[in-house]
Amino acid sequence: MASAEELAAIKKAKILMVGAGGIGCELLKTLVLTGFRDIHLIDMDTIEVSNLNRQFLFRKHHVGQSKAKVAREAVLKFRPDVNIVAYHANVKSTEFNVEFFQNFHVVLNGLDNLDARRHVNRLCLAAGVPLVESGTTGYLGQVTVHIKGKTECYECQPKPAPKTYPICTITSTPSKPVHCVVWAKELAFTRLFGDKNQANDLDSQTKEASSASEQQVLPLELQEGESVASFAFRVFDYVFGHNIEAALKNEDAWKSRRKPVPLYLNKILPNIAEEFKGSCENGARPENSCSAMSVLGLKNPQEVWSIEDNARVFLKSIEILYATKSKAIGTLVFDKDDQLAVEFVSAAANIRSYSFGIPMLSLFDLKGIAGNIVHAIATTNAIIAGLIVLEAIKILTSDFNHSRMTYCLEHPSKKLLLMPVEPFEPNSSCYVCSQTPLSLEVNTSKSKLRDVVEKIVKAKLSVHSPVIMQGSNILYETGEDLEKDMVLLYTSNLDKFLVDLPTPITNGTVLSVEDFQQEFSCNLHIKHRDEFDEEKEPDGMILTGKWLTSQTPEQQLNVPGGPTEGNNVVEAVAGETKTINDELQEVDGDFAEILEVNTVADKKRKIQDEEQAQKRMRVSLDER
Amino acid sequence: MAQRNNKYDRQLRIWGDHGQAALEHASVCLLNCGPTGSEALKNLVLGGIGSFTIVDPSRVEAADLGNNFLVSWENLGQSKARSVCALLQELNESVGAKFVEESPEALLDSNPSFFASFTLVIATQMPEKALIKLDETCRQQRVMLLVARSYGLAGLVRICIQEHDVIESKPDNPVDDLRLHKPWPELKRFVDQFDIDAKDQLEHQHIPFAIILVKVAEEWKAAHGGRLPSGSKERAEFKAAVRARKQSDDEDNYKEALASAYKVWAPPTISSELHSVLDDSAVEIHSTSTDFWILVAALKMFMANDADGDLPLDGAIPDMHSYTEYVVILF
Repeated sequence: MASAEELAAIKKAKILMVGAGGIGCELLKTLVLTGFRDIHLIDMDTIEVSNLNRQFLFRKHHVGQSKAKVAREAVLKFRPDVNIVAYHANVKSTEFNVEFFQNFHVVLNGLDNLDARRHVNRLCLAAGVPLVESGTTGYLGQVTVHIKGKTECYECQPKPAPKTYPICTITSTPSKPVHCVVWAKELAFTRLFGDKNQANDLDSQTKEASSASEQQVLPLELQEGESVASFAFRVFDYVFGHNIEAALKNEDAWKSRRKPVPLYLNKILPNIAEEFKGSCENGARPENSCSAMSVLGLKNPQEVWSIEDNARVFLKSIEILYATKSKAIGTLVFDKDDQLAVEFVSAAANIRSYSFGIPMLSLFDLKGIAGNIVHAIATTNAIIAGLIVLEAIKILTSDFNHSRMTYCLEHPSKKLLLMPVEPFEPNSSCYVCSQTPLSLEVNTSKSKLRDVVEKIVKAKLSVHSPVIMQGSNILYETGEDLEKDMVLLYTSNLDKFLVDLPTPITNGTVLSVEDFQQEFSCNLHIKHRDEFDEEKEPDGMILTGKWLTSQTPEQQLNVPGGPTEGNNVVEAVAGETKTINDELQEVDGDFAEILEVNTVADKKRKIQDEEQAQKRMRVSLDER
Repeated sequence: MAQRNNKYDRQLRIWGDHGQAALEHASVCLLNCGPTGSEALKNLVLGGIGSFTIVDPSRVEAADLGNNFLVSWENLGQSKARSVCALLQELNESVGAKFVEESPEALLDSNPSFFASFTLVIATQMPEKALIKLDETCRQQRVMLLVARSYGLAGLVRICIQEHDVIESKPDNPVDDLRLHKPWPELKRFVDQFDIDAKDQLEHQHIPFAIILVKVAEEWKAAHGGRLPSGSKERAEFKAAVRARKQSDDEDNYKEALASAYKVWAPPTISSELHSVLDDSAVEIHSTSTDFWILVAALKMFMANDADGDLPLDGAIPDMHSYTEYVVILF
């Protein structure tokens, strides 16, 4: 079936696989059965129980061990003659540098986050090695091919930024369960069990509320000699009671919104102190428990608990966490596989929802939201892995004309479940892989270097830590280890007009802009221009070359049926992850912009995506 | 229970408890355990089917080692079915595993009732003649059949089922059936509480659009002899009547009302497909009827006896710009 040429290429190919999870297991198996014999595999994760429904190289007794290592051992059992090198490491670590990547004929990604994908993309470009990218979400999947100079790189089309919420929605005016989950995770859980030194809005709210009711200064801290139970009771009354009352005082906020209801334990669970005493006496001692739910007799994680039971779980989980993890308190980070953390966050989110008139959810659903859990099954990964290998073979035999981006749908579209699309040519103004330099029209006698840095390099090119050079002279750079006299030089450079710089910038000068962290570099060809229209060109500078300026959710992958960004669907973090929108919005104000898109826009986009995909489909089908 | 939930967590989020239960009640028969059959069965085993039985007469040969990871060199010369069965069992201890060292064609000839005990038969790499016979046998015994063949880079999958019913359909676009044209008594009483000409701005902009439409529809019916708007002229007039009650430009509930006005004069009807289901002979249920047909029979009785020929209300309502209390009461 395979030609002699293909077999020869397969036999001598050196493959780098990044990721040994859902796609990785299937991919490693398929590669090896296809005849590949030299595979390096990087994965930093360890095996979890929830992996076992699809990552079939792992067994129950492997839980906790390195995915890369166990995958290698499992495959060697049925193909002892292949060479597999497993790295239990983070692909972003410096050991996997450009030289490392240059060892391979092709790189195959089976990752689950955008950040690592972009990193690998840039290294593949730097090393000149083709990359086959992929992702799956439930029944949806895709395989894309990225060959430097021939096709788009992974970043030529901007990927949707992770969802963020305005800080005030989280701290004061939630209207959806997810807002309450983010509050429970980032504010409540972090404040009680995580880094106390981190500034936390709960503190300021509680201060307000506590001065109003003349209580202790630090109501959210366990006091000396205090029982964990009384501490938990107090925390409840503060975060769900006093704090809400304090918030209600701000009448403006509630003019057109439903007012939250303050909740106090003496109303919801008047006998709670007795209950707690009783449970200890009955042998359900907190230090022997690992789950508040099971201690309380709540067996079904898919059931929506009553407000009373949610309150019980909230209090009980605090008690058990203190009893079993007292040393770790102050350093705990929310982990979706930590049963107690999930119980605490679910209960806290539900109580807050109840207060604000938002429907409560089951632990199962809340865990999914809090942990950004993506649904996954074995079959989609198997399909995608097969497609990856087919694309890899085409690359190895330089059969680039047949390289395809393939999208796996849940329901057939135009009778096709797998939609192959020809890759696009590189985006000539892609920040990352652009071969052509950009041009900057500017009045070199009237514009300062600072203007170029702020308005062009940082704002338009999204370069965060630029190094600006003319030839071998550094005109400006940022960094922590810079020498004092260099810093002085750069500061004075910023205020100089371009023509007045130590190496003058005039018409025809080429400036290079680099960012080592991002491994990004591009050239700016300077064109002097005297006049700029004040209204149309208020910056007094024009960057030419078409590009995609704002990375908004409107610009998604052109996949019918929605984005399939691997397992990176939603990251509901209030203000932790800096997105491109954060950068742009920092200019405008304090809060991150709402990236929620309404249903009409969603539908429009879906129609547009389908039309575009169909157009492309027609192009590739016409060839047959 | 918790372990099982953890293991299946990611797929439970796709098909829920009922889906998982259906899987766990399924027994699957695989005919021929070459690479095609083995890969298919592997995915089912990982998902947690109740049990499987492999039917395959062959022995493991050197060539098999190259394309099927569920046989190993230690099994050379031994039954392939046994080898695949053992390795599959490792993937999921909760799944029952059996094998029969016989050719599927021979089994089909000598003991067709063998297949009756399975939920699903997966037939791989079998010749057409045998498949036709297999299909007849399966249909008679109400067993689902899935046929798969692969040739190099091409392949086919074919589903052969007599009848497949779905009860929890989870439609992508739920149909809103608000009965705006024919409000039932409780809804009417609720609607009467509202005054869509209320002067209080906050009050006015929070009246659910469904209420607005019912009110205007009642007024229209009163003025037009009990009829609903028909024809484009009357429909335009109806919309104008709705628009006339707007008090300010950014009342979202009025925007929603105008967008959904068509629901007043074009209510959901009972489709011909639904009629053919209701009129199917299977509606005359008996002791072996499936849940699906029992539900259909109940539906038919409801429509005839309780509902004047109408379908029962779904109870789902679309998003409405309003106070939460009103929406809750509506629901």
